[in-house]
Amino acid sequence: MSSIVADHVLSWMIAVPFLGIAVLVFVRDREWIRRTALAATLLDFGLSLMLWAGFDVGNQGMQFVERMPWMPTFNIQYAVGVDGISLPLVVLTTLLCPLCVLCSWRSINTRVKAFMMLILLVEGAMIVVFTALDVFLFFMLWEVTMIPMYFLIILWGGPNRIAAGIKFILYSLTGSLLLLVAILGLYLEGGRTFDVLALAGHTYSSQAQFWIFLAFFLAFAIKMPMLPFHTWLPDAHSEAPTAGSVVLAGVLLKMGGYGFLRFCLPVFPEASAQFAPFILWLSVAAILYGGYMALAQSDLKKLVAYSSISHMGFVTLGIFVFNHQGIQGAVLQMFNHGVTTGALFLAVGQLYDRTHSRSVHDYGGLHATMPRFVVLLCLFSVASFGLPGTCNFIGEFLVLVGTSSESFVKVLLAMGGIVLAAAYMLWMLQRVAFGRSRTAFAARLPDLNWRETATMIPLVVMVFWIGLYPGPFLDVMDASVSHLVEHVTGTLGLEVSQRSPGP
Amino acid sequence: MSVYTLIPLLPLMAFLTLTSGGRWWGGASHKVAIPAIGLSFGLSIGAFVEVLSHGPIAIPLYRLIQSGNLIVDLGLYVDQLTALLLLLVTMVSSVVHVYASRYMIGDPRYNRFFAITSLFTFAMLMLVMSRNLLMLYVFWEVMGLCSYLLIAHWAERPAACSAATKAFLVNAVADVGFGFGVILTFVTFGTLDIPQILDQASSASDQTVNLLGWAGGDLHLRSVTLITLCFFTGAMGKSAQIPFHVWLPFAMEAPTPVSALIHAATMVNAGPFLLVRLSPLIVLSPVAMTIIAVIGATTAVFAGVVSLTQSDVKKILAYSTISHIGFMIMTCGVGAFVVAIFHLLAHGFLKGFLFLSTGNALQVVHAHGHTASDSGRDGQAPRLLVAGALTLACLPPFVIFSGPYESLWTVQQFASAKAAFWVIGLITVFCTGMYLFRGMLSLFQQELAVGVPGGEGPVLTRPRLFSSSHFIGVIVGAIVMSCVLVVLWRWFAQFLAPALTRPVASLAESSPMTWPFLRGSGQALWFVVPLVVALSGWGFAYWLHVNPQRSPWRRSERGKTLYVLFLNKVYVDEIYDVYVVQPTLRLAGWLWKTVDLGGIDRVIMSIGGTSVALARWLWHVVDVKGIDRVVVGSGGQTMSVAMWLWRMIDIRGIEKNVERLGDQVDATGHPLHRVEPRTLQHHLLVIVFWLITAIGLFYWFVA
Repeated sequence: MSSIVADHVLSWMIAVPFLGIAVLVFVRDREWIRRTALAATLLDFGLSLMLWAGFDVGNQGMQFVERMPWMPTFNIQYAVGVDGISLPLVVLTTLLCPLCVLCSWRSINTRVKAFMMLILLVEGAMIVVFTALDVFLFFMLWEVTMIPMYFLIILWGGPNRIAAGIKFILYSLTGSLLLLVAILGLYLEGGRTFDVLALAGHTYSSQAQFWIFLAFFLAFAIKMPMLPFHTWLPDAHSEAPTAGSVVLAGVLLKMGGYGFLRFCLPVFPEASAQFAPFILWLSVAAILYGGYMALAQSDLKKLVAYSSISHMGFVTLGIFVFNHQGIQGAVLQMFNHGVTTGALFLAVGQLYDRTHSRSVHDYGGLHATMPRFVVLLCLFSVASFGLPGTCNFIGEFLVLVGTSSESFVKVLLAMGGIVLAAAYMLWMLQRVAFGRSRTAFAARLPDLNWRETATMIPLVVMVFWIGLYPGPFLDVMDASVSHLVEHVTGTLGLEVSQRSPGP
Repeated sequence: MSVYTLIPLLPLMAFLTLTSGGRWWGGASHKVAIPAIGLSFGLSIGAFVEVLSHGPIAIPLYRLIQSGNLIVDLGLYVDQLTALLLLLVTMVSSVVHVYASRYMIGDPRYNRFFAITSLFTFAMLMLVMSRNLLMLYVFWEVMGLCSYLLIAHWAERPAACSAATKAFLVNAVADVGFGFGVILTFVTFGTLDIPQILDQASSASDQTVNLLGWAGGDLHLRSVTLITLCFFTGAMGKSAQIPFHVWLPFAMEAPTPVSALIHAATMVNAGPFLLVRLSPLIVLSPVAMTIIAVIGATTAVFAGVVSLTQSDVKKILAYSTISHIGFMIMTCGVGAFVVAIFHLLAHGFLKGFLFLSTGNALQVVHAHGHTASDSGRDGQAPRLLVAGALTLACLPPFVIFSGPYESLWTVQQFASAKAAFWVIGLITVFCTGMYLFRGMLSLFQQELAVGVPGGEGPVLTRPRLFSSSHFIGVIVGAIVMSCVLVVLWRWFAQFLAPALTRPVASLAESSPMTWPFLRGSGQALWFVVPLVVALSGWGFAYWLHVNPQRSPWRRSERGKTLYVLFLNKVYVDEIYDVYVVQPTLRLAGWLWKTVDLGGIDRVIMSIGGTSVALARWLWHVVDVKGIDRVVVGSGGQTMSVAMWLWRMIDIRGIEKNVERLGDQVDATGHPLHRVEPRTLQHHLLVIVFWLITAIGLFYWFVA
């Protein structure tokens, strides 16, 4: 029995959410629906821990690979596997989903079954996206993630949910379309196969590289989101229910960054290098611009949403400097962002559950009434702007070290973004947590109950674990990242950017 | 693991115990914090003795980061410099904790207070013990966070919250410099290990960095200069140097023990410490040293003059700290690192003491810190406490003077010293004398007002404590102190030298420890002059106090203007607000409204809108008018055929069934319409439109 599980951990991880959905069909009691969903997500998390434990950190290639022909006429197969880049994201997904279920325990009271099914659906789809070794499989599940998100927004969202949903769908569909075009192009150019590893080994004409890269880039840039394609994010975040925001910010955005690392860099190193200067400036602009945007917000969720844009700027910055620290920092930063931003959305959600207000001006003085909440809010706010000792610092520092081999000006500008981040987070804390209550209800809010506290605790642990002892996380990525860097720099004929110590 | 790991670990454990225990500790919180920090004080003495006898101690911890060629190993390092600072930090901190256990009684967040002060102490201890620049940076920032939380301790007060935010943000801006310095150091030296960097410093002195490389320009700067200036920027923030000095006076919103911690043990000392720690690197860049010296000197004089005009004792003390730290920075800038540390220690001990006694005095007279306010409504103040606090408070200026005086002495020896720094030093000494005397006097004045029955406002009389006999006593005491300090100083310089020797070998030869004390007349002069200047400062302040109408501030219009200018701290806060903070916020708002909402969003939504309109048009023209009409037309034909058939055949039973079915369709159809007000239909049309475009594009590019 155990070998059946152990030999096919990845497939089990993919299957568990879908099995959960199947079980949910037969459950009628609301409380039991919630429990079933929680059990399914927790089981998945347990499996991901098994995956982590069985992962060989010295191996740079794909592990836990499972292959099965699916549509042989088109060479489409069911192929999954993880390496050091996808493993953290898989673990992040399975870590956040139980928390999503927990945070919706009391706040979702209508159509509970549908809600939980959608959460499980999106979890299953995301795991496939992060593990797929077949481009077609990747694309299909990429599309699948969009649909539950859309319904989460328009069915359980805030007052402007319809408009937010339309915007989300408009952007996502455009992205998907470009992705489809890119994948078909890749299929035709890359020797009629959808296998990721085979595609990466193939060489492409520079013109094909240019166009297919552009299509991939735009698709992933919309998902990230990068600077001019970001306006769906604040609306979608602010209107989505808490769990939706957590999934969206915590995991869905990373699909873009993951796409860059899995497709753009290994398959089109030359086109990546060609576009890199432009993308790097765009990332720096996103860091600063996102910071400025967040500074202008008085809506808590929008503030956190814009801060995500700023953080994602760090991720793209790290990816496109093509060196070890940059890429490792970017992957770590994706994980960290999922933890801290997810936690901030949970915190805002906890406030929203109490008051149904997202405005900064409706709170104040919470330190007196909700001390436990304020401690957590402070912690995640400072973690979000990268205070040393918390997880974001390690990621941002690695990205900045990586960038320093590219240009000092970008490093300085990116650090300016960190100052902006400190400014908007402290500004928010000052208005929400400290001072005096501005409204009558803010003075009477109950503190977090045990369920809400339990939702936050795993994230607190992650914040400090990565912040103080990131070794295990960095080790997991190390081999795969150096493999990727060697592949890219080797193809480009660049020197591997390892500085010799000393003068 | 050495036992000295416990020095920082104990306060950390106190912090963890207090936080995890939550409110359970309540009023007993100090019983956790005080023993922990007291014990680490004891261990610090042990570490000091061991360093004294066996030389530096190195304790490796664990590997933080290994990414490519970036390797960050955490470790503790106790050399002579660190040992001295450990003593200062743990001692002041334990005194402050003991003091706070009384001062904070009845505070609703007693537990939180002790938890964070423990963390604060831990951060400073780790900072001085860091072996790695990144580790130093981590605790540099953690300290910033602690100060933020402590300044906002009385979070109900909006002033406290904005002071906290201000402190953190000013530091965050300055820390960009520090962080950039760390990265630049790694790029230059390939390591972040401090001893390694200092060893390699001289060999890297001719490396350059092209600052305009990204724009194709050519602006080469020496790496060493740039690195030094980056670290100095960080130090300017933490140590409240111009132009980052604005946060420190506002930090007085914190409870007094916190001020004592910030001014004496932790926060502001980090700047000079960093400069001294990196001294082998700094001395390689004369440009950077000149800048450091100029900024330190400017700060020293500026803060000295400003504190002359302040009327709040705590503000006076705050500006006095800024001035003193400026002085230390200046001494670093002219290369007298030993003096800077000496000054730092003396200042730390005394400022801590001053704050605590001021806190006492203020508590006793129940004043709000305003020296000019009438106070003592509370009747008989415990005279002994006030007198004791104030007598003790009179001593420190003298000891502090011996710091500057010594530094001037060394400055004179150092080749790059300029007469200008000399004069500035003397001006600072003069100002220090004046404002400290004024501050003490004003505090004492309040005590006098207590004695006046009916209390008709402040009564400006000759303060009794400063009668001529006291004055003579104080002068004698000061001279004795100075002699003791000079002896101590010689020993001190010898002790500290190994921590700085490597690159300052040339400096060591000319440093005062090789000079027999007071042999030449020159040294005697430099010993006497600052003392005289300081005393004249005291005298002048006393004279002004007795004859307030003769004050130079009051005698001319220009004097008044200057007074107002300095009273308002040269409007630096206002300038920052108008030219930095407000424009940033306005820019943010403008960007959001015009670019995000008005620009990108409008474009995207209009694309969406256009496609919806197009879809609607297509639907209308093609579907409704075209296909539908055809279908409906043919349907109509069919219907008429059916009608004809019905009339002909007339099956009533079937008719009834059809009617029932129609009712059912109506009943289910209506709610559906209400839920989905046509949006789904539109979405589908948009999707179809995009798919058509996609297929078109696909064929265009690929097929």
